[in-house]
Amino acid sequence: MTKKSMYFKMIASALIRRRSGMLVALLAVAIGATVLSGLVTVYFDIPSQMRQEFRAYGANFILVSANGEALGAAEAEAAVACMPASEIIGIAPYRYETVKINEQPFMAAGTDLAEAKKTSPYWFVSGEWPEADGSVLIGQEVADVIRLLPGSAFTMTGTDPQGEAFSRDFRVSGIVQTGGTEEAFIFMSLADFASVMGDGGFDVVECSISAPQAELEAIAARVTERAAGVAPRLVTRVTRSEGAVLTKLQALVFLVTAVVLLLTMICVATTMMAVVAERRGEIGLKKALGAPDGSIIAEFLGEGLFLGCMGGILGVLFGFGFAQIIGVNVFGRAVHFQAALAPATVVASILVTGLACLIPVRSATEVDPAVVLRGE
Amino acid sequence: MYLLDLQGVSKIYGSVKALQGIDLTVARGEWLAIMGPSGSGKTTMMNIIGCMDKPSEGKVLLGGVDISAESARNLTTVRREKIGLIFQQFHLINYLTALENVMVAQYYHSMPDEQEALQALARVGLSDRAKHLPAQLSGGEQQRVCIARALINYPMLVLADEPTGNLDEANEGIVIDIFRKLHDEGSTIIVVTHDPEVAEEAQRTVILEHGRIARIVENRKGGQEAKV
Repeated sequence: MTKKSMYFKMIASALIRRRSGMLVALLAVAIGATVLSGLVTVYFDIPSQMRQEFRAYGANFILVSANGEALGAAEAEAAVACMPASEIIGIAPYRYETVKINEQPFMAAGTDLAEAKKTSPYWFVSGEWPEADGSVLIGQEVADVIRLLPGSAFTMTGTDPQGEAFSRDFRVSGIVQTGGTEEAFIFMSLADFASVMGDGGFDVVECSISAPQAELEAIAARVTERAAGVAPRLVTRVTRSEGAVLTKLQALVFLVTAVVLLLTMICVATTMMAVVAERRGEIGLKKALGAPDGSIIAEFLGEGLFLGCMGGILGVLFGFGFAQIIGVNVFGRAVHFQAALAPATVVASILVTGLACLIPVRSATEVDPAVVLRGE
Repeated sequence: MYLLDLQGVSKIYGSVKALQGIDLTVARGEWLAIMGPSGSGKTTMMNIIGCMDKPSEGKVLLGGVDISAESARNLTTVRREKIGLIFQQFHLINYLTALENVMVAQYYHSMPDEQEALQALARVGLSDRAKHLPAQLSGGEQQRVCIARALINYPMLVLADEPTGNLDEANEGIVIDIFRKLHDEGSTIIVVTHDPEVAEEAQRTVILEHGRIARIVENRKGGQEAKV
């Protein structure tokens, strides 16, 4: 048997055969690692989920023409290509023109309705979203003025940008309520809009992107650089409040995590001190047998680091459950397992346990070997 | 040259003089007993001979080397290399088997050797108990494991503190037989004991009183008193 295998045998025997004493220490490490793992999971997962949640409040990024003209489809595509596809929730281009219904003027908006539904999930639609040609959504204000209900037909008149008069029949698919200016609009598909107004560029492209403010700013810089003629704008009302909430949330979780780490260290150090005190006779015996301080340190540190490793593994398992409980009960949504956090938690647990063991291990080397002769 | 030579050794704790001017020599292969009432300085003398304490005054020469002024680190090395300790309370590591307890001494000394450790256990009649934990062994068996551990590194000096103090008569006999055998093989043994019957087995008995050597009895020569 080599010295190394004897070393591991001694550590394993101390841990396995002294179950009750070591279970207390393992429990201390595992609880610390569980709370640590859980909070760090929350720290990383909840903000990304909440960003998705914030997308319910509408677009946070818009594209307009840099020169006051309409935005061409090619320009818009070049700008969208600068955005990370995985973070795009929806891209809804809009064209606006004034039209008349019963000789009363209203603003008509042509858009990709499927994308508009993604960028504006807060819209409350009575009736159905338009699917067939000739179906439109009308805002609540429009419905109130001209007394239309879902299923009602009406005739839209007006002049296109070239000055040609048009008249076309539409059917109300649904009435939209937003509590905002959208209630004064008539929304239709881009194809229906083009059928009365002809082809043309977009007045604005609304984008909903699941990214923090800093990343949105980076996207804006890329769009400015790569998509000539496109002026990107952050919807600061949304991005700033979103950033402020998430920053405060993360700061809170960070603070709690730091406190938990400190408490874990104190807890593990106290437990290891109790272990050292309990095994004072054994340490004295080993020193009486001629064990150098380095061996005593290596044995206790080895036990501590093994406990740290085991506690870390338990912490990963229970920590995910803990994070789920926080996610579901506090934030109302489940968290995702963060695979990268598993090794990080184990390493952190080993480091914290190692640090916490330093003082007790040092005190172990100060045990007088003569205690064994005094029968203590 | 004596194996152990104590020259004017004193140990003072504050105002308490635990040992005063001890002069004692132990020859290689000698079996010496140390007796005395509680507080006579036996444990202090054991600590000093066993390199677990240093004298306040005087010299301790082990194998001709003065160890009285050595650092704690060097004394640890001397204990590991030259001294085999046997304790009244056995002091086995409770989570290691009998075999592993013997191998621990090898581990700190040089290299663990399972076969050699098994032979050491066989020497004290415990080869069939090698895989048992201390809690599964009787007091006598635990003491024999302690003896096997003390002998595994072929120490220059075997130091036993009340080795039969916690044993019944039958086990006391077994342990004394092992000591006899060790002595016959040439080991140098110092035994601290309260038991006159155990002390009589030694060649000489040193009687301590109030930190001084009161007398030395030559047991093998009819219990004659030697000069103090």
